[in-house]
Amino acid sequence: MKQYVCSVCGYIYDEAKGIPGAGIAPGTKWESLPAGWKCPLCGAPATAFREAGAKAEAPKPAAVLHASSDQHELTPLEMSVLCSNLARGCEKQYKSAEAALFTELAQYFQAAAEPAEDPELDALLALIDRDLDGDIPVARAAADAEPRDRGALRALTWSEKVTRIQKSLLERWQEEGPAMLKNTGVWVCTICGFIYIGSEPPALCPVCKVPGWKFEKVEGRAL
Amino acid sequence: MSKEFAVRNIRLCTKDCLCLYVCPTGATDTENSIIDTDKCVGCGKCAAACPSGAISMVPKALPPQRSHSGNVTAAMRALLRSKTEQERIAASLPGALAAALAKSCRIQAEDIIREAGYMLPQSGNTHAFLKKLAGNPPSADFPKEAAETLLRLLPDNDAPL
Repeated sequence: MKQYVCSVCGYIYDEAKGIPGAGIAPGTKWESLPAGWKCPLCGAPATAFREAGAKAEAPKPAAVLHASSDQHELTPLEMSVLCSNLARGCEKQYKSAEAALFTELAQYFQAAAEPAEDPELDALLALIDRDLDGDIPVARAAADAEPRDRGALRALTWSEKVTRIQKSLLERWQEEGPAMLKNTGVWVCTICGFIYIGSEPPALCPVCKVPGWKFEKVEGRAL
Repeated sequence: MSKEFAVRNIRLCTKDCLCLYVCPTGATDTENSIIDTDKCVGCGKCAAACPSGAISMVPKALPPQRSHSGNVTAAMRALLRSKTEQERIAASLPGALAAALAKSCRIQAEDIIREAGYMLPQSGNTHAFLKKLAGNPPSADFPKEAAETLLRLLPDNDAPL
């Protein structure tokens, strides 16, 4: 009997125990789980699971920082992120006037950013794959070097998990299309960015463990 | 002047109202539930008495933020660029999933830049950023006054004494 671990939220499927409450008898092999089975905690597909104890792939040594590392110039959207982050920093200190001013700056820079020229899901998936295969492991290696930067490692741990759920949702969308969201809602954790599909948000965020009221329902423009 | 002031998290407040009984200045009793910082003397009695843990004492001066190594900053900046590129694409697409992806990328990017050296609004690098914008606005419609007001309101923790 084996165990399989969800790479997004850490949920463990134990073949010996099954999930009797969900009609999966003890002893049900991983391969025998029903088609379309999803992680009961975070909704990640079976492909996001790894066998427990299996060695994680070592980061590819060839992975190098892509040509973005101009340390001095932030793009308009990066400046918008900087300002919206500082707005949050002010909110946390209950400085509402300062938060509003940083939000004003964030909105200015967001409006100043050029829209994507040719927005395509494939381009989005390619960037997500590059993060998972390159940028995130490279950053993790940098943060893991002595003296270990545990703050950066924490941010990378969350971002990697959230990026994995983004990838699985995009792949589902490519297969199922808009039917995927029929009669259900889309929720985003306002703390870590985890995306959850359901009529109600989860009780706890499976990635960063904040309570469900920290989730926001997202509507989006009409298709 | 006191070194701390009290703040109330309204999501946690269970309206036991002990803070109203113990506050020596009436700062906790307001029509909008926000503790009046002009009246608060920072004594901490409300936070100590609160049964729901909704009141915290926040120091007025914060310590300097932690620094990160050049390698970590460079690697986080590369990931920041990637996440903002993803936000740009997702924001240009219709539908709830695309909107959720854009929002998710923004939240991750904010967290990443926080761990790339921009955690505290009261830090020296934030001041330098605002000064550069106020002194050399990127366009005619840039809200220069917002940057200047922030420079006035926020202390610079890293400034030499």
